[in-house]
Amino acid sequence: MSITVLGVNHRTAPLDVRERFAHTTGEVPQALERVLAAGARGGVLLSTCNRTEFYLAEPDDTVPEAVWALLSERLGAGRSASAYGYVQRDRDAVRHLYRVSAGLDSMILGEPQIQGQVRDAWDASRPLAGPVLHRLFQSALLVGARVRSETGLATGAASAPSAAVTVAGKIFTQLAGRSALILGAGDIAELAATCLVSEGVRVTLVANRTYERARAIAEELGARALTLDEAWEHFGDCDIVLSSTAAPHAVVTWDRVAAAIGRRGGRPLCILDLAVPRDVEPAVAQLENVFLYDLDDLQAVAAHAAAERRNDIPAAERIVTEEVERFWGWYGGLVVVPVLREFRERMEAVRAAELERTLRRLTHLSPEDRDQIEYFSQALLNKFLHQPTVVLKEAARAGRGYGLLDALKRLFGLERRDGT
Amino acid sequence: MVLTSHFIALGLYALTTVLVLAPFAGLRSAPRSLLLGVPIAGIAAHLLGVARLTPFMGVAPTLSMLALFLALFQVASEAAFRASAVGVFTGPLATGLIGLALLIGLVPDARLVAGRSPWSILHITVSILGLAMLALAFIAAALYLLQFRELKAKRFGQVFRLFPPLERLDQLNHLSLVVGFPTVTLGVLLGFGVRYAGGVSVDAAQVVWGMLMWLVLGWAVGVRVVRHWAGRRAAFASIASFAAVLLVYLALKLTTPGTERFL
Repeated sequence: MSITVLGVNHRTAPLDVRERFAHTTGEVPQALERVLAAGARGGVLLSTCNRTEFYLAEPDDTVPEAVWALLSERLGAGRSASAYGYVQRDRDAVRHLYRVSAGLDSMILGEPQIQGQVRDAWDASRPLAGPVLHRLFQSALLVGARVRSETGLATGAASAPSAAVTVAGKIFTQLAGRSALILGAGDIAELAATCLVSEGVRVTLVANRTYERARAIAEELGARALTLDEAWEHFGDCDIVLSSTAAPHAVVTWDRVAAAIGRRGGRPLCILDLAVPRDVEPAVAQLENVFLYDLDDLQAVAAHAAAERRNDIPAAERIVTEEVERFWGWYGGLVVVPVLREFRERMEAVRAAELERTLRRLTHLSPEDRDQIEYFSQALLNKFLHQPTVVLKEAARAGRGYGLLDALKRLFGLERRDGT
Repeated sequence: MVLTSHFIALGLYALTTVLVLAPFAGLRSAPRSLLLGVPIAGIAAHLLGVARLTPFMGVAPTLSMLALFLALFQVASEAAFRASAVGVFTGPLATGLIGLALLIGLVPDARLVAGRSPWSILHITVSILGLAMLALAFIAAALYLLQFRELKAKRFGQVFRLFPPLERLDQLNHLSLVVGFPTVTLGVLLGFGVRYAGGVSVDAAQVVWGMLMWLVLGWAVGVRVVRHWAGRRAAFASIASFAAVLLVYLALKLTTPGTERFL
């Protein structure tokens, strides 16, 4: 019995490779069925933008080849996926998943999205996961939650979009219900807008140089579309402005903002300039109650949070190690129980056969004497089996049962019967 | 009992101060339950001590009372506004005041207690309560200006991380002013009542300056409530008015010493 993880992640493969390996939820069962057909008792496929990993229970030797073949097909051009991949087995595989779930293996240390992605992967793979991986993923989610609650690994904003939320949260009492104006339709602005929306901010207006593009984004966010020229007057109404146009020069000028700011009655305005080159003139920050932050500022916030999170890595690793031992104890016990049962059954069969043969020859014995002999044989067997049973169970709990188990199988010929 | 309770309160307020200041020294933030629980325990012990002081007259009991109100407002700020940073000011203040009260000696002054009416005690209590509220408004305004400066300067250090959002500090300042000013007004009116009833003789200069300060405080509240000042301007107004009150109080204490005179 064993647990194995095979896959690629942001450390081993560049983005263009990872993109090809990404599986949608709908593709998961088909991919897993194909891998399991090569010989494994259960599998879970975890596929995010930063990793594609197959977790497999009791895989045969041919399974890694099947996984790499499947991924290589997506790579095309005769390239091999194994060049980007890694394989971890048993305790290391469990530790790997726990670290992933805790955010220790993420590109942004401690990021919380991975917890949901692990849950989604487990859900999508559930019919094919099998009992061991079912338990493993269940425990991985608990480990992730434990690390986040007992350490500071998830505190602060460690990415620019989440830093935008943090900065806005230091200006406004609560973000829920605040109105936001999006200038431009860049990917980062859209991501940051999604972060703000998840905090309850209402994106009310989306303005872009081309109206059609603004309308497409506005429809996604439930907002109204504007052209850029129509947007300036709305600086007087909204609470947050998120700017990410592709303009080669600053489009949000001091004149345009100052004209609208007088109507705000002292209410603060948070402007998040996520464009490179910048969309907002630095002089805008001089306006009273206007708080302007560009991408460098937000990255400084994120870097600060990331540095603080790094201090919590040892504590998080300690929790992971503790939980790996806990899981491995359970898993070891799972392996020992059927072998011990088999061993006892075998010994019991020998005892019963020998007893019957002996009693057949001793016909002169009274029923009481026969019972005494049977009792003696049973007691003797129990005494013999007691110590090996205790030692094996203890070794399994400590995660050291495999050597002894193997010896037991070989010495008493259990291998032939259980087929392992 | 009075001293024991005050020493327990002193210890717990000092511990609260350490808990509040710890994250500024780079240590892990204390859990919210501790930030609320420790000062609440201190307040409970302090209340027991203050109850035994009644009628609280003289400088030491007055300082003890002021410390109690500050500690109460610190807990209220954390509970209602999640503004544990208020403790950066109120923690050391409450600890210092109660320590000073213990140093001076927490025995009601027999000369002062004699002849004091319940109205006089009420005047002092309400005045101290009003003063504590104005102190809270001052603290909220100071925190606002510090956070404002950090946000404008794009410095993302301990102040940015540990201080509450600007709007929340503005709300705390607003609430403290609009509740504190009527409380102070009530205290002043009770003071007039006590004076004209013949309870205490007060110097004319104190009355004039007291009225002037009341007008200054009224201005700070007026610009917020009537002219809808908010943010930095309101914070400056709040700080200026409270600073004026403190300066005038100190000047009067120096020129016309008298332990019974509040404003």
